[in-house]
Amino acid sequence: MQKNALYILLADDDEDDRLFFKDAFEEIKIQTNVDFVHDGMQLMDHLNNLDNKLPDILFLDLNMPKKTGKECLIEIKKTERLKNIIIAIYSTSSSEEDIEDTFIQGANIYIKKPSDFNTLKKIINEVVTVNWHYHTSGLNRDNFLLRLK
Amino acid sequence: MKWIPNFNSSNSLRVIFVIAVFILLFLSSIAYKHNQDLNESSKLVMHTYEINIQLERLMSAIKDAETGQRGYIITRNGRFLAPYLYSRDKVNASFITLKKLTADNPIQQQNLENLFKLIIQRFVSFENCLKYSDPKTYDKRKLDNHMFGGRILMENIRFQVDKMNDIEKKYLENRQKIYDQEISLSPLFSVSLFLTALTFILLAYRQISRDFERLKVFNKRLLISSGLMAESEIIGKFSTWQWDLDANKIDYSDNQYRILGVAPNSFVPEKETFLDFVHPDDKEAVAVSMQGIIEKKNLPFIYYKIIRRDHEIRHFKSTGKLLTDQQGSKILLGINFDITDEHLLNIELQERNRELEKSNKELASFNHVASHDLQEPLRKIQTFISRVSDADKAVMSESAREYLSKIESSAKRMRVLIDDLLLFSRTNTTKKEFIKSNLNELLENAESDLTEIIHEKKAVITASKLPKLDVIPYQIEQLFINLIGNSLKYSQPDRIPEIIIESEKVLSASYPDLLEQSIKKYHKITFSDNGMGFDPQFKETIFVLFQRLHSKTDYPGTGIGLAICKKIVENHKGYILADSVPGKGSLFTVFLPD
Repeated sequence: MQKNALYILLADDDEDDRLFFKDAFEEIKIQTNVDFVHDGMQLMDHLNNLDNKLPDILFLDLNMPKKTGKECLIEIKKTERLKNIIIAIYSTSSSEEDIEDTFIQGANIYIKKPSDFNTLKKIINEVVTVNWHYHTSGLNRDNFLLRLK
Repeated sequence: MKWIPNFNSSNSLRVIFVIAVFILLFLSSIAYKHNQDLNESSKLVMHTYEINIQLERLMSAIKDAETGQRGYIITRNGRFLAPYLYSRDKVNASFITLKKLTADNPIQQQNLENLFKLIIQRFVSFENCLKYSDPKTYDKRKLDNHMFGGRILMENIRFQVDKMNDIEKKYLENRQKIYDQEISLSPLFSVSLFLTALTFILLAYRQISRDFERLKVFNKRLLISSGLMAESEIIGKFSTWQWDLDANKIDYSDNQYRILGVAPNSFVPEKETFLDFVHPDDKEAVAVSMQGIIEKKNLPFIYYKIIRRDHEIRHFKSTGKLLTDQQGSKILLGINFDITDEHLLNIELQERNRELEKSNKELASFNHVASHDLQEPLRKIQTFISRVSDADKAVMSESAREYLSKIESSAKRMRVLIDDLLLFSRTNTTKKEFIKSNLNELLENAESDLTEIIHEKKAVITASKLPKLDVIPYQIEQLFINLIGNSLKYSQPDRIPEIIIESEKVLSASYPDLLEQSIKKYHKITFSDNGMGFDPQFKETIFVLFQRLHSKTDYPGTGIGLAICKKIVENHKGYILADSVPGKGSLFTVFLPD
């Protein structure tokens, strides 16, 4: 594990998505460590294990077995130690309801899973390089959903 | 109650009748008095006549005595003396009669007394004449004296009798005169009184017949309205009852029996009879409400069930009211509605509602499936295709490359279809928050969404001032995007696309066939372009879901865009119309309520 590299955690039950995600991170020229968990339960166990380093950015799928992404989000935001983790929602759904809910629960950005690998790379690049301190202070309902220029 | 006629005339009628009765009583008392007077007067005449006759009899008796005496003196035959001897008795008898007849008249009594003295003197004179004519005691001088004296006495008697007759006659005349005066006064008076009474009675008769006519009219109306009432009770499935609390008498309308499932008047209603029909579950509540009317004077609607004698259960709704009439007696009025049909219908409706809610939920879950589960494999197909690098393609066969590109375009098309379908269903199912928005701002947003294609086609969009309206902002934005996008898509290749957007306020009355008339004013927003247009025969069908006028190879599309427009406009209680001249351009007109 490289030091000073960004530590990225993806919680997604879909194997293909995890593969796309891994490939995309490998192709972008940024120093990152990427870890995966397969469902919500595993995610919370991982985060709550004090031996584990907390991720710099957590990519969170909403539709997961055992514990959904939304449940995890609520739990994380309630936990003092975890509540400052940058959370990027990473979902197939782009329904108003999901966007609205996760925004209110305190997620930092909402990413709709793209259907093009190059777009995925662009998105990841954007998210990883964003000045999160700046982004979070100016966060509002309109720039919550990530739109690529 | 307005329809009860006011027979005021009955009071005046009574007055007229009383007056007429008094006049008639007065008239008959006058007639009675006249009758009495007449009787009196005839008695008086009789009285005078009797006195007259008695006096004449008296005279004739004395004359008989005189004649008999003369005959005896001349012939000395005793037979002539008989009248003389009888005359004495006759005179006495007449005298007693006269005494009785004149008992009420002191003057006549006095006269009679005098007459009697004269008669006695005359008889003494007879005696003397007889005595001095007797041959044994004959004295010519004395006889002459007495004979002569007798004649003078006779004249006196006659005089006295005439005097008495005269007095009677005069008395009679006086009485007759007074009577005549009385009689002569009354006929005119009586006749006028009679006529007055007659007039009064005629007046009364006229009033009575007039009232009678009115009564007939009102009776007819009453008959009609009670007939109507009975009929409407049957049609409206309701009934009325009244309960006179003082007389403790309960009356049911005919239909009350019918809705209880029995023939009209088949039993005598009593306080408890109705409760017998009420379903055991509701008995207490109904009894409490009945009591409640008496205390609160009013009964809000109560709902309960009854059981007919054939065990059929009917649903009732009832209300009641306590009325106090002019005499102060209290009457409970009630109306019962048989609402079984509505009740059953209601249950059916509730059932349908539940089904609808269920199917709505299913639709929502379908939305979820469409938005998530269907998209996921599609997204992966697309992502995997994008993973096939150009280097990979270079080693493929020609046909494999072509198939790959066809897979890619089909997947793309499927994505568009799913996205549009989702958009369409969300247009309907997502919550509708109306916010006062400036439509010009929404139009700007729409234009910025379409920047790319506007630039590409070098389109010119001219918009006049649009109104500020309560709308669902993102939907109106979508409407603008779809309409402008449609115009740009179907533009003429050799012409710069021009889109003109105008707005004006119109009265719904100007479009009676199209617009909802209860909303007075609409905003009419028109989108006209110079595109290729369409055959006007399709101006209705282009709004139907999946309806396309062009092949998808010429113009890609899903046939959902205009259907979404229609849905959005309907969500705003508005209307959308399309028209076109092929080759010249199309016109889309949106009406939104003010």
